[in-house]
Amino acid sequence: MLTSRGRRHDVAALVVWAVLLAAIAAGPGCASRGGAGPSPATGGGPPSAAPAVKPAATPEPAAGASRFSFVNVAREAGLDRVTLAGRPGKDHLLDSAGSGVAFLDYDRDGRLDVYLPNGWRIDAGRIVERGRHALYRGLPDGSFHDVTAEAGVDGEGCWGTGVVAADYDGDGWTDLFVSCFGKNLLYRNLGNGHFENVAARAGVEAPGWNTAAAFFDADADGDLDLYVAAYIEASVDDVLKATPTLDWKGVEKVAFGPFGLEGAPDHFFRNEGGRFVDATEEAGFADRGLGFGFAVRAGDFDGDGDPDLFVANDSDPNYLYRNEGGGRFREVGVWSGCALDAAGAAQASMGIATGDVFGSGRLDLFVTNFSEDYSTLYRNIGNGAFEDVSEDTGVGPATWKSLSWGTAFADFDADGDLDLVVANGHIYPQIDRHPELVGPYAQAMTLLENRGGHFTDVSKASGPGFAEPAAHRGLAMGDYDNDGDLDLLVLRLDAPPALVRNDTPQGAWLTVVPEGKDGGPPPPGTVVHVKAGDRTFVRDVQAGDSYASSHDPRLSFGLGSAETADEVLVTWPDGTTTRRTAVRARQFFVVKRAA
Amino acid sequence: MNSRRRWQSGITAGLGLGLVLAGTLPARAMEGAGETPSAMVASYKTLADVILGAKKTEANLVRSILTSAHDRAYEELMRARTALKGNDAKGAQAAIENMAAAVGQIGSEGDASVGAVRKRLLEGGHHHNSEGEAKGIYDEGFVIVTKAAKAQFLDAAKVLGQLAKAPKADALEAEWVKVEAAWSALMK
Repeated sequence: MLTSRGRRHDVAALVVWAVLLAAIAAGPGCASRGGAGPSPATGGGPPSAAPAVKPAATPEPAAGASRFSFVNVAREAGLDRVTLAGRPGKDHLLDSAGSGVAFLDYDRDGRLDVYLPNGWRIDAGRIVERGRHALYRGLPDGSFHDVTAEAGVDGEGCWGTGVVAADYDGDGWTDLFVSCFGKNLLYRNLGNGHFENVAARAGVEAPGWNTAAAFFDADADGDLDLYVAAYIEASVDDVLKATPTLDWKGVEKVAFGPFGLEGAPDHFFRNEGGRFVDATEEAGFADRGLGFGFAVRAGDFDGDGDPDLFVANDSDPNYLYRNEGGGRFREVGVWSGCALDAAGAAQASMGIATGDVFGSGRLDLFVTNFSEDYSTLYRNIGNGAFEDVSEDTGVGPATWKSLSWGTAFADFDADGDLDLVVANGHIYPQIDRHPELVGPYAQAMTLLENRGGHFTDVSKASGPGFAEPAAHRGLAMGDYDNDGDLDLLVLRLDAPPALVRNDTPQGAWLTVVPEGKDGGPPPPGTVVHVKAGDRTFVRDVQAGDSYASSHDPRLSFGLGSAETADEVLVTWPDGTTTRRTAVRARQFFVVKRAA
Repeated sequence: MNSRRRWQSGITAGLGLGLVLAGTLPARAMEGAGETPSAMVASYKTLADVILGAKKTEANLVRSILTSAHDRAYEELMRARTALKGNDAKGAQAAIENMAAAVGQIGSEGDASVGAVRKRLLEGGHHHNSEGEAKGIYDEGFVIVTKAAKAQFLDAAKVLGQLAKAPKADALEAEWVKVEAAWSALMK
């Protein structure tokens, strides 16, 4: 199982790598990459002009080699806020759980902005610092400016555990839901650069250890409802007084849990005119197993045109809630084949990626898990049924050793298939005293290239962005520099985040922007099919993904060598469609809904 | 409900008896120096009976939970048969899905609510089949359902779930035969 991780590099790869390193060292910082960005302030969304064309994708490299190139430019870009994470020893699980991150466009200037929740610093049983959450505004030169104070979104001292960006009130401006250990925050975007926390008024504070959340239209009434996962019952006192008491492999005492701690129930809130009503029981979301919920993702997993919901639980069976219509859901995870692994065991699930991996038109599921267990790829075999194909696709062996969190499927080289990125990092710093057992606490991210449905670990040959060890947690993907490829934003505990810029030569790409109401953000639940030659690609817009994170809502397609998409078909959340034909590649293609 | 109440009252009565005996012990007994007072030994024996009895009770209770799921699966099979005979595709689909859920619950040794109880027991250090777990025969905390049986029931649940989308009588009967075979082997 472990052999695939010890992949050797061939000479050609080393030469390519050396050239890339030299180019990076000699080249300008990210600021000089400006010019690809759109003009701001028009309120018109993404740019219409294509940036400089990159070289066409090259043929697939040999095993172990890689055409990918990524570099962390967070510091140059100005993303310098450190994520506070309890104590150095991570004495309580809250210290090590971290948070998600979000790419969003809060000011509708066509450039992605960044939101980073934050935790606390704890010392000697006291909270010595409540970390300031941060909103960074994206600037035309690819850098970011901290606008937290003026926007009024500093987190109010809450320990932020996740973030979802969506226009929940349908006014055309992206709002922020920040899940917390404590009371959740709902920052309503006032449209003038300022936000207002309306969580109490809206009824979504739900105090507890909340984790991931997702906005989706559960009852097909045209507005966004909200699901919030919860982890365990824990008080501030429990956190402050925690000491490492769990025996780890007989060599260390580490943070206790989640076994031995009581799971906390998830919540479902139905949107009733901007106010949310707890409809957990009524809608069929009662969390009877009190699963340790860590990640949430809505999507039409059974292909019947309405959104279902997948919840990844740590050490418990995952939930798949099938939409039965009329705002009612039924939990069908076990017999649908995505609650357990191939051996019938519950795994310690942390994050979720979805995408049409096999070109079937259906949404497959990938779930990240604990170390010394594989992360699981569930192939959607139709009608909402799944099978575990982790072993056959190479995903299992490649993910066995790492402890994995945020994740995403994306076509990072625009060659027409979905690759897979995984953010890694262990939860026990104490393991560094025994590196021979499961490796280090700080871990590099993993990049798995899709080669005809088989995934190959190309992490070590994908540039410095995949070489930096850290305690990675939430991950969001998005094209922050508007150059047509997908970059990564990754939270790191006790460190600034990583902004991993994609410098990979791209095939023909197309970014589809289904425009929301009044020029607002793409509505969650929108599905886009792009047809190019004999291939059809599908993506969906979602609010809440990965590990407690929000991706860029614009939909990125890799078309390989096709310079034109024959058809772009947008299916809006209400089932109506908009069709465009002969769409040239290498552009941000805005699709407005018919009046 | 009646059988559940019986189990609950049995456990409560046993534990209560043990606690009463323990609570009424004299501070010092009359035995010779160096010996454990016989009343304490007697109480401990009673408590041991309760503990060992509770383990048996647990096995019987889990067997009842499984039987209840099996009964539900069978009832749904009857519904599905009727629906199929009456060309009621929607009714058949619903019944077969319910069957899938019930069979899945046998494989998982109970639904999520039962899983939560099992989790609590594990958290408290209680492993009903610790030896069987060590040998790889049982999953952690499982009482009756072996790993092999679990795989059979979970596979059957998935097949039934798929079958529900396009119900066919012969395929349904064939899958039920498999479920029954696995059930008989488990309960013998």
